[in-house]
Amino acid sequence: MNTSSEKSLWNLFVEGDKNAFSSLFKTYYSPLYSYGLKISSDQCTTEDCLQNFFIYLHKNRRNLSEINNVKSYLFVSFRRAILKNLKQERRFGSYDEIFESNHLFAFSPEELKIEQEISNTKNTALAVLLNSLSTRQREVVYLKYYSELSIKDTAEVMNISYQSVLNTLQKAFSKLRNEIVEQEISAVFQKN
Amino acid sequence: MSNKHLSLLEILINDASFVNWAKNQNQNDVAFWKKWIAEHPDKIDTVYNAKAIVLGIQFNPVQIPENKINRELNDILAQIEPGETAPLKPNKKTSILTYLGIAAAVVLIVTFVNRFSAEDSTIVTHKTVYGEIIDLKLPDGTSVVLNGNSEISYDKSAPRNINLKGEAYFKVKAIPSTQAKFWVNTKDLKVEVYGTQFSVNTRNEKTGVLLDEGSIQLLLGNGSTRKMIPGEMVSYSDDDKEVTHKKVTQDLSYSLWREGTYVFNNTSVYEVMRNVEHAYGLKTEFIDEELKNQKLSGGIPNQNLKICLSAIEKSTGTRIVVKDKRLLIFKN
Repeated sequence: MNTSSEKSLWNLFVEGDKNAFSSLFKTYYSPLYSYGLKISSDQCTTEDCLQNFFIYLHKNRRNLSEINNVKSYLFVSFRRAILKNLKQERRFGSYDEIFESNHLFAFSPEELKIEQEISNTKNTALAVLLNSLSTRQREVVYLKYYSELSIKDTAEVMNISYQSVLNTLQKAFSKLRNEIVEQEISAVFQKN
Repeated sequence: MSNKHLSLLEILINDASFVNWAKNQNQNDVAFWKKWIAEHPDKIDTVYNAKAIVLGIQFNPVQIPENKINRELNDILAQIEPGETAPLKPNKKTSILTYLGIAAAVVLIVTFVNRFSAEDSTIVTHKTVYGEIIDLKLPDGTSVVLNGNSEISYDKSAPRNINLKGEAYFKVKAIPSTQAKFWVNTKDLKVEVYGTQFSVNTRNEKTGVLLDEGSIQLLLGNGSTRKMIPGEMVSYSDDDKEVTHKKVTQDLSYSLWREGTYVFNNTSVYEVMRNVEHAYGLKTEFIDEELKNQKLSGGIPNQNLKICLSAIEKSTGTRIVVKDKRLLIFKN
């Protein structure tokens, strides 16, 4: 759905149209659930959080801030909601602690397509490589390529600058490239 | 955005021809950038960084099962209005239209099952009824979103040669290894594509094509060919041999359907309602005649009839009532 039509759907929702609400719910449930699960690693927490999130949206629809892009708005708000929940539930002292716990944004081979444009690395090996990136690098990769957000929207969701996202992507791919090359070299030596 | 100088990296990743080079699509672009890179060896690092960002990582997003999503939705709807007992349950009058998603998924499965069991038939057909929208993946990876009252068909042996009646949005998968072309045939023309995104509409006795991305070539029924670039629209009817080939601008009136949304530009309400008629099998009656010529510009979501009509009502300041198989339009 393009942005102007989604905004129109959003406006219907704000005015109380249940069909519009249901439509938005059905469109975004899966993507937000996947995102939440990557952050909390817990299915129950994610499900509960997502339910409360949508109920909150509906109850407060008239008081929500002006929206430019429905998708990034939902991602930003849900990210905030689930981090807040984690902080309270697990009694983390700060958000930094959550991000240092390093379980976040762990990729599994099943989530990776077998055919990758960037290299012929097997998805099991690629998953390991991706998981060796920093948490921030993994979140950027997740939002840009899994959730299919633009660089601008990724920056908005993570509350960092556009340039920051670009830099993070470059560092991530540079690291991946070096690792892949190293593995290929050692594979050659191992054959002999 | 600020007036800062764009970095080379930013310029590259946002350049469509560079993207084509990175993905090895469109030989003109590939040749251009090969030459550019050879002439600017100091920029090679940036080029490869940009290429990596453009290619990215390909994921298989996990999709939560539809019935689980519906259960969660019903839970929430019950909590929002505890007084209301029945959530979105399909009743006789609005069955398919309310549960468009489920109905469409079922039809899709049924279609595929039939295909597998019919051994001697080599033609595969996908058809939608009024009000139904389906999302398909063809054997080659191309994705097609088919609007209501539409049909695509192809021979199993040539899955990149598609016949279309109605309205569809195509995201054609490029096949770099063989550079295989993809064709869409309508009664008026043939669209030839490499790997790209575009809309085709065969209603109203003519075929209209609007190109979003990439480049395509049309072979019209009168034998001439038209090359299209993104942002252009061509419409042609083999009956009167009339060709329109325009760049899409604010003043140009057009209506097209892109992946579940109607996009109208400077379109009369009469024409807007004709689109709805085609897709849902209903007839429009203008109670207030002057509304016919009112213009509408914007995106109208089209997941189901209710949403579509609500959006039209809001954009035009009208009231639309569904009575029997008619759409009655009033001034609001």
